[in-house]
Amino acid sequence: MSELAVEVKNLTKVFATGLLKQYVVAVDNLSFDVKAGEVYGLIGPNGSGKSTTMKVVLGLMAPSKGSAKVFGLDSGDIRARNEIGFLPENPYFYKHLSGAETLKFYGKLCGLKGSELKDRIGYLLDLVGLEEAADRRLGGYSKGMLQRIGLAQTLIQNPRLVILDEPTAGVDPVGSRQIRDLILRLREDGFTVFLCSHLLEQVQEVCDRVGIIFKGRMRREGQLDELISVEDQHAMTLEGASPELIEKIHALVEEEKGAKLIESGHPRTTLERLFISIAGDKEKGEKS
Amino acid sequence: MSIVLQKVPRTILVLIGLILFGLIRTPFEDNARKGLVDSGMLLPPPGLSAMDQLSQSALMGTLGGLRSLVATYLVLEAYEHFSNKDWEELRNTYNVVVALEPYDESHWVSATWHLGINATANMELDEKLPKFERDRRFKEYAFQGIEFAERGMEQLPESYAIPVQMAEIYREKLEDNCATARVYKNAMDLPGAPGYLRRFYGYFLANCPGSEQEAYDHLIGLYREGRHQHKATLIKEIKNLEKKLDIPWSLRISDPDPDVESMKRRNRPESLPGGLSLPQ
Amino acid sequence: MSEESSEKSLRAPAKAVPLFSFARVWTIASSTVTQLVRMKTFYFLLAFALIIVGIGNFNIPATPAKELSMIKKVAFGTMDLFAWLFAIISTALLIPRDQEDRTLYTILSKPVRRIEYLFGKLFGVLAVVATSLVAMFVICAIMIYSRETLYVSAEIQAMEANAQYTPEEMQAQVELIRQQGLRPELTVAVLASFLKASVVAAVTIFISTFASSSLFTIIISILVFLIGHAHSLLSNYWTTQTDNIFVIQAVKVIKVIIPNFQLFSFSEGIVQGAPIIAAVLWQMVGLTGGYLIVYVLLSLLVFVDKEF
Ligand SMILES: Nc1ncnc2c1ncn2[C@@H]1O[C@H](COP(=O)(O)OP(=O)(O)OP(=O)(O)O)[C@@H](O)[C@H]1O
Ligand SMILES: [Mg+2]
Repeated sequence: MSELAVEVKNLTKVFATGLLKQYVVAVDNLSFDVKAGEVYGLIGPNGSGKSTTMKVVLGLMAPSKGSAKVFGLDSGDIRARNEIGFLPENPYFYKHLSGAETLKFYGKLCGLKGSELKDRIGYLLDLVGLEEAADRRLGGYSKGMLQRIGLAQTLIQNPRLVILDEPTAGVDPVGSRQIRDLILRLREDGFTVFLCSHLLEQVQEVCDRVGIIFKGRMRREGQLDELISVEDQHAMTLEGASPELIEKIHALVEEEKGAKLIESGHPRTTLERLFISIAGDKEKGEKS
Repeated sequence: MSIVLQKVPRTILVLIGLILFGLIRTPFEDNARKGLVDSGMLLPPPGLSAMDQLSQSALMGTLGGLRSLVATYLVLEAYEHFSNKDWEELRNTYNVVVALEPYDESHWVSATWHLGINATANMELDEKLPKFERDRRFKEYAFQGIEFAERGMEQLPESYAIPVQMAEIYREKLEDNCATARVYKNAMDLPGAPGYLRRFYGYFLANCPGSEQEAYDHLIGLYREGRHQHKATLIKEIKNLEKKLDIPWSLRISDPDPDVESMKRRNRPESLPGGLSLPQ
Repeated sequence: MSEESSEKSLRAPAKAVPLFSFARVWTIASSTVTQLVRMKTFYFLLAFALIIVGIGNFNIPATPAKELSMIKKVAFGTMDLFAWLFAIISTALLIPRDQEDRTLYTILSKPVRRIEYLFGKLFGVLAVVATSLVAMFVICAIMIYSRETLYVSAEIQAMEANAQYTPEEMQAQVELIRQQGLRPELTVAVLASFLKASVVAAVTIFISTFASSSLFTIIISILVFLIGHAHSLLSNYWTTQTDNIFVIQAVKVIKVIIPNFQLFSFSEGIVQGAPIIAAVLWQMVGLTGGYLIVYVLLSLLVFVDKEF
């Protein structure tokens, strides 16, 4: 598994907005790799630069600085794009085409034709559960159906790398469960998946590794377990503790030098907690 | 190369591309334009005089490549003015039409016909106006028609239809035999001109005081071309001239005098085919 | 993926893709045709048919031959107008819309070159314009032919009633009307309208690559189109009216930058019976090809590093 599916090095992307040329640094000196065969999740709140990073990897945007490579090829190289299936956030396709016609269109763009294409379309419609709606126009599709036809479209040329921008956004719990199952299945089948999300619990169970991005910078990266178990912190979950006991614990902590109670209260999902703490740290850091 | 491309702003590159292409295509386009205009496929641009007279919508249409459409629309509008006997408007409209399509002979002919024949006829009949005013306008319209024809002849020197229409004004309205003869003379040798123009020239010249000898020489020339020219009017006019010019008997033509009675009824020459009809 | 064994193995690299593929251009072009058809753009043909029926019922004060020639002129003028207007509007609805709808994301994230996308859109529009022109020509042809037959039979009747014309003379009169009727050369006038609409479509694509909306594209394109007809006017009229050096220079710049659309108005002359010179026609076809290639390449220059 030494081959790199995605290799992002010192990527910086600056947008100039408005007539007054105000600059927005969307991605700031970002570096990370996605190894072939793994599921990598890029996690961050809104506006942290996830979509921008993906577009640079796809070659839809040029980096301001640094580089992005896909299987060793420069992003933007047409051969690199042939290796990628991409699902944009809130995917939008031609409303006047039916589900099957949409897949046919994208399949042809990837050079598929004839019975090979036809079989592929049938297989994918079955995979995403849209056989019934295959001949209906997308104008009449629901949000979840659009997301699923979008997923089928990403897989049309059987690419090695699948890039999913918020694959479960706007999809109901059952739907997002199905999508997560599909991602797990893709991993089983040897696909490399690079996805991003701001919904942490969705990523938790499917990702081999995650990178946490905030304001365009990579804050933490690694295996989920590692990230969640923070070495110098210790979490306790108490049950049936009286207020007096909690008072005592507080007092004990204060007695010890260098120790500090960071947080107390009702527990949250671990990743979310980590996330909020990072956000809080950086906010403080940037103010000072 | 790609670094250069990245450094230079796109707008400048695009502008350079546009200018280069513009410079390259200009000689090619001039050549193509010449070929198109020479063959008549591309209509030459409207006359400068048209630009001042075009209404805004007509100007837009002209710029939009709809010159023929606009011209045809204006011809219909002119017909409307004709129906309303609105001669000033009619003249203005035709000024624009001929400016838009100066190469279309029928516009010149129509304008000449409307003003010289229809407008003058209207002045002969219009009871609303005092006699003096009618007489004055009669002349005015006749000369406006002639003026249109002159402009058309300048524009289309090869067209015989325009002078024929002009001659009709001199002949029918101004009853000027000398001018009529002169115009027929100009028209008769133009390409495609009908044969009767040569005879008509002779007939009207014969009735133009002082030109009898010239008329006789022309008509006798026609007579000698053969039997197909031996029309009754031709023979009659020759006989009249023989008398007037006192041609020796030995040189006079031998045909019998055409019916004296019929000549009494009309001392006008053979009538135009079809009489007065719509031009073209 | 179902054929895989349960043992996890990585996927093989993708097959090589051609760097430029006519198949992809073709795919985008045919999808563009489908799009325009399903947007119900062909309804404009109905409007055209109604106008032609109206023109066919013109009552023009002139001889049959002249009347037929005027009807023909107006019908083909309208056809020309519809062709270029359709080219502008449909082109303007395509690329800015793909961009607004973000359909472009998914297309350009497939192995598709941006030039293939631009050519695909252009060819799609041209296919629809060509089809529409053929349909419009058929509509016009039916109208002109029926009028022509009507006039010819009326004239024959009139001449027979008069009983003083020889068959040759009658034939000559019929020929006079036929001359203004449905002649095979009229198809070349349709080709001329097509060449004009093609150049208009290419220029509109160019404008739409930097315009942000469909409406803006349409307005600017029509403006450019109008100015493109003023080339000879600009030099003949405005420059003789002034000796302001700046005006004269500005006119020169406009002439170089704005395409000369007036040159493409030669369907007018053909409709009015001008002889068709094949060499000149080929020159115009070549010029059209030049315009298409150059304008698509210029569009690419803007489009190639456009970010979505
Ligand atoms: N085309 C653009 N022009 C200007 N600024 C942009 C552009 N695209 C993104 N940005 C800015 O870059 C920053 C990162 O945007 P990006 O879309 O990458 O965030 P994201 O992480 O995908 O957020 P979300 O979770 O809301 O999708 C934002 O501040 C955004 O306003
Ligand atoms: Mg995003």
